[in-house]
Amino acid sequence: MNRDARVEAFVAAFEALRAEVEKVIVGHHEVITHVLIGMFAGGHVLLEGVPGLGKTLLIKTLSEGLELSFSRIQFTPDLMPADIIGTNIIVEDADGRKHFQFQHGPIFAHILLADEINRATPKTQSALLEGMQEGAVTVGGASRPLPAPFFVLATQNPIEMEGTYPLPEAQLDRFLFKLRVRYPALDELNAIIDRTTQSRPATVSRVLSGPAVLSFRELIREVPIASHVRDFASAIVMATHPQWEQAPEVARRFVRYGASPRAAQALVLGAKVRALAEGRYNVSIEDIKALAAPALRHRVILNFEGEAEGVDTDTLVARVLDNTEAATAQAREPFLR
Amino acid sequence: MNESSRIEGLLRRIRREIRRRRAEYYGLRGAFWGAVAGAVLLLAKHAVGSTAAWAAAALVILGAVAGIAYGAARRVARGDAARVADRAFGLDDRVATTLEWAGRADRTRLVDSLVADTVARVEALELKRAVGRVVPREGRLLAVPVLACLVLAITPPIPMPSGRLPDFLPSGEEEREEHASSSMLEETSRPTAKDPLKRPSFEEHDFAQRAGGSGATTTGDLSAIFKDTSLASQRPDFNSFMKKGDERLRMLEQVDRLPDLQSDFTSSQYKMVYRKSKALTGGLRPDQISPQKLRELLEEMERLGRKGGGNWSGDAMEGMEALEGGQPDRALDAMQKALDKMRAMDEAQRSGKGLRGGRENERSGRGRDRARGDGMGPEDQDFGEGEGLMPGRGRSGSPKGEATQRLRANPYDVGVEGESRRGRKDGYDTNLTGRGGSMASRLQYLGVIGQYRKAMEDAITREQVPRDFHDQIRSYFQALDER
Repeated sequence: MNRDARVEAFVAAFEALRAEVEKVIVGHHEVITHVLIGMFAGGHVLLEGVPGLGKTLLIKTLSEGLELSFSRIQFTPDLMPADIIGTNIIVEDADGRKHFQFQHGPIFAHILLADEINRATPKTQSALLEGMQEGAVTVGGASRPLPAPFFVLATQNPIEMEGTYPLPEAQLDRFLFKLRVRYPALDELNAIIDRTTQSRPATVSRVLSGPAVLSFRELIREVPIASHVRDFASAIVMATHPQWEQAPEVARRFVRYGASPRAAQALVLGAKVRALAEGRYNVSIEDIKALAAPALRHRVILNFEGEAEGVDTDTLVARVLDNTEAATAQAREPFLR
Repeated sequence: MNESSRIEGLLRRIRREIRRRRAEYYGLRGAFWGAVAGAVLLLAKHAVGSTAAWAAAALVILGAVAGIAYGAARRVARGDAARVADRAFGLDDRVATTLEWAGRADRTRLVDSLVADTVARVEALELKRAVGRVVPREGRLLAVPVLACLVLAITPPIPMPSGRLPDFLPSGEEEREEHASSSMLEETSRPTAKDPLKRPSFEEHDFAQRAGGSGATTTGDLSAIFKDTSLASQRPDFNSFMKKGDERLRMLEQVDRLPDLQSDFTSSQYKMVYRKSKALTGGLRPDQISPQKLRELLEEMERLGRKGGGNWSGDAMEGMEALEGGQPDRALDAMQKALDKMRAMDEAQRSGKGLRGGRENERSGRGRDRARGDGMGPEDQDFGEGEGLMPGRGRSGSPKGEATQRLRANPYDVGVEGESRRGRKDGYDTNLTGRGGSMASRLQYLGVIGQYRKAMEDAITREQVPRDFHDQIRSYFQALDER
């Protein structure tokens, strides 16, 4: 087959990076894939899971596989925005004159690990908003660009746990994907024990540079998408809105606010990365379906009934997906299914 | 372009396949509905004639052909065919994306790679069926109307109703028979109406209505079919129906007049005695009747009279005396009188007089109790010390005693005034004033004071009263005695 060299390079880089991460991380194959998709799509990823499942280790390992600067912020309730962004401090030069000098905060890194982001107050959490969306921060009236590529990987404990502050919707919407880190299976747990109790821990090689990541991001945007696939992504996002006339019953009943247009962008961009990572030159319906849950689960806000009934957003998204698929024009005629 | 022609070739094949499947689908549906129409036509074979079978077969074929034509003629969009091909051959939307992006001006290098990749995959495809066969519900049920057509085709035609109503007008002979039966009905109804047990208030009236008033019906009227009930001569009158209902409801309110349906009147005393008297006297002259058996019967009647409170005991006694005097005819007359009285009482009971809970019965029962007693009503009774009309005491039939008669005045007509009384011990008299004050006391002082004193002694004995008040209470009752 006549394959594009750039696509070949991307597939190789993607697989190599995944292989490096999987040297350390046992299982979580889907989570690793989605983290990589998020990174190549130029988005930020939020990982949610109970403590001890390897969220932080995954991100640290990923940063080790990339030739990029990495910083880690441990979010605590007394953390202040200046602790993240940085601040102007008075310095004295050789002439004895004093002037303000900007002291860069840890946000000025390619890869930022925001560990336990929901332990900080919403004020501090919001300090990341501008950086995540604009790729720049404003301090003392001066906008300072963040290094590219800039990639935030945040972890959080489930909001039911005490001493946490749920992320505001605006903050959540900035994350391309929200991934749920599940508890490992028995064989995975055995493998974790074997790996972490050896005398020589696995070493991770750097397989990808920053400029390569940026060039792949441009390549990804070239991936063509058929109109019916794009329509399908839009229909899924619209179906999460209870006000939409074709919204399924489950959305009308349990959803207060549906997903934002960023969700549709996340779906299509993520689908493009997924298609390319699989060596395909086009986005398929399956790509959209595979990424619907990570892209939508944190953007759908349940209403009181949904909260009271304990509706799981993943289940809700799956039902929305089924309804949308059944409602397409092609599905209505048996010969076109 | 050679590359795109391969994709076009795939699409043509898919579109052809979709058309074929649609033709099958709609052909089956058309055949079903054609068969249904054919079956309807064959039902009317009697009217259509011998061509019905051919016409039914033609309908089935016509339906199938029309369905096939419709299915085959429906347009299949290229995009739809491309998506079907993608799904059928696992091409992950490559064909659809290629078709859409190949002709665009903003196509990128990746699109070129996409087209090349798609063509390569299409060439490597193993041709197989891409569109599955879909059998409609009508197709699964097609055998039913087709079989119905076959059965109807070989069976003789079903005669159709003429659409004219049958002639219900009776012939002259039938009319005469009806008239005769209606007059018979009138004759049999007459003695029933005169039956004294029947209440004329509603039953006779009802029967008269059922009999049709004049009993005549209009000959030739369509309602003559209801001649025997004679309802046809009357127009339905809802108001009269309601009125009758009201009468019956009022009847239900009169408990005394309701028959006692709980009792078994077939085994009443009268019936029993009457049967015995008939068995004794049946067809015999007075001198042929056994005096012994007649005496036994009279004795039984006398006993029943005494026991049940009947007033025929005297007649029965008179009959026995006559029998002892050798006058059986007088004895029989007395027995007949006693029987008449028994029957009168029995009928009174049957008409509700003896019904439990009836007002008359209650009144008469009370009167009987009074008569059976010592001739004194509760008001006339003299109460001794410690008994009287206090609740639960005395000779009243009620467990709480007779209710105190209410004063015929409203409370404002009665007042209480006090007056100090001087004597060996100072006291205080209270008197009722107003209209109520002039009325006689219902309770007799001497009959009541004894009860109160006894209650006082009991209360003190059982220590219901504080010890400090014992002397005070006793001195109060002592002062009452001194009045």
